[in-house]
Amino acid sequence: MKTIGSIGMLTLVATAAAHSQGRSTLAFRGDAGFVWVRNDTTAAGAVGPVRLRGPMFGGEGRVVFNGFSLGLGLSSGTLQTADQAVKRDLIEGRLLVAARPVPWLEMSVGPFVRAYVTDSVTERWVFWQARARVEAPIVTASLTSYVELWRALSSDVNLVAGAGRVQGGEAGVVYRPPQRPFWLRLSYRLDDAAVRARGSETLEAISLAIMVGGS
Amino acid sequence: MLRTSLVLALSLLVCGARLVRAQSASDLLGQGVRRYQALEYDAAAALLERSLVHDSAAALPDSLRAKALTYLAATELFRSRRDSAMAAFRQLVLLNPRYRPDELIFPPQVTNLFQEVRRATRAIAVAVPPVTELRTRSDSLPARVLASSLADVVVTLAHEDGTPVRELYRGPVADSLLVKWDGLTAGGNPADDGRYILQVTPRIPTADGPRARQVVLDVKKVMPDTLAWPLEPTLLPERTSGGPAFRSLAAGLVAGAAAVALPSIVAPGKDASGARFAVGATIGVAGFVGFFARKPRVLEANARTNASQRDAWKKKLDAVRAENSARLRTTRLVVRAGPETIADRRSP
Repeated sequence: MKTIGSIGMLTLVATAAAHSQGRSTLAFRGDAGFVWVRNDTTAAGAVGPVRLRGPMFGGEGRVVFNGFSLGLGLSSGTLQTADQAVKRDLIEGRLLVAARPVPWLEMSVGPFVRAYVTDSVTERWVFWQARARVEAPIVTASLTSYVELWRALSSDVNLVAGAGRVQGGEAGVVYRPPQRPFWLRLSYRLDDAAVRARGSETLEAISLAIMVGGS
Repeated sequence: MLRTSLVLALSLLVCGARLVRAQSASDLLGQGVRRYQALEYDAAAALLERSLVHDSAAALPDSLRAKALTYLAATELFRSRRDSAMAAFRQLVLLNPRYRPDELIFPPQVTNLFQEVRRATRAIAVAVPPVTELRTRSDSLPARVLASSLADVVVTLAHEDGTPVRELYRGPVADSLLVKWDGLTAGGNPADDGRYILQVTPRIPTADGPRARQVVLDVKKVMPDTLAWPLEPTLLPERTSGGPAFRSLAAGLVAGAAAVALPSIVAPGKDASGARFAVGATIGVAGFVGFFARKPRVLEANARTNASQRDAWKKKLDAVRAENSARLRTTRLVVRAGPETIADRRSP
């Protein structure tokens, strides 16, 4: 699966390079959101389903070519159960290569790492994602909606049972105020990671982001 | 071959004979004039009478015929045959009511007799140019009505079958009168193609009065070129399209619905928080905002531009319509006049 991901990444890079006209820009995004995690696995000594929630903050930087971008993102937060009996740190990081074959479609691939950290153990997910994002302008150049779906080309988790199907999606709206250098984004994200024959882990997030730069 | 040669020879013989006869008529006139000048009146009278009796094919033209009649009348007068002189002058007056013997050539007793006969002989005539091109209403066909003495006449135009077309003049003619026809019928419309008869008749026909004269007019209407209608202007859209508004609404509603439906798509059977409804509703509202921001609206500038274009086009259309109407009103007629003849009593 890693081979498939590598091929996909190379294909995207080649496609984007063909479209590239040499001028690059930088884009940064800062996220603030709230995360809900429902864990049906029995990993890390937990008993039964665990529901965690908590705020999360992060950011992503991208080098944007014409029709091509390379991004690196990192976010973290502390989640806990409603009774605060269970507490975990959530850390996510990803690297992506994206290309826009047409203006309304962005396709990307890259590795994604998610880790739930407790004092005693770290549950770490690593998977290669392939993402497709469709954008539709609501009001030209100022208000845009998007829907993004992704699926893991390969996945790995340090649970005994191992990782199964991993996929997710995101929908949101991006607002670019007139005559302003920043963008605002409101999004809802849901990732679902199945653990082979041992339940699943579902992550929901609602986030508000501010973006600067890019195009 | 022999037959062809015979026909050719016969034709040449006939034509030659006619030519000889025509020449002889004018020769006879010339000889008669010379005899008159030599005071050989009997010989002159004989020659002049012979010059006048030729048939129509070899007859003298009217101008020479008038000359022959004048010399014949003078000859007869000097032969003391006054009645014959008066008869010759009467023929002359009927031939051309405006003809006058040259007072430098003929002595007063001749001209006086002519005047006497002219006053006693009531004759009318009409002269029309052989070909006249005229634009109806603005141009006219000139028809000169001639009278040997004061005559009360009616000048009419009729179809060949006698159907009246228009009365052109009714009144007296002392010597000559120019009557004009503007090419229109009594109804004010341009005359159609066809043959017409221009007739001059005495108002009160009498047995000894002048005989009606007529000229056949062959009228051909030449339709004028009209201008092409101006092309309709290419107008700008006066309202924005409804497509972008509905696309905006669709973009918001679909993305909003996707947010709401995401758990069912990605993680079916799993519980999800209500956060997706908040985001989905926000995206949906954004879609409505886009719909109302881009809903069809009137483009005032385009509407004003279109209005001015429509006005300009309408003005052009009116101008072309007026010009075409004027051109159609002033139809061009080509009128070819035949020879003047004595009118049949039955004709109008």
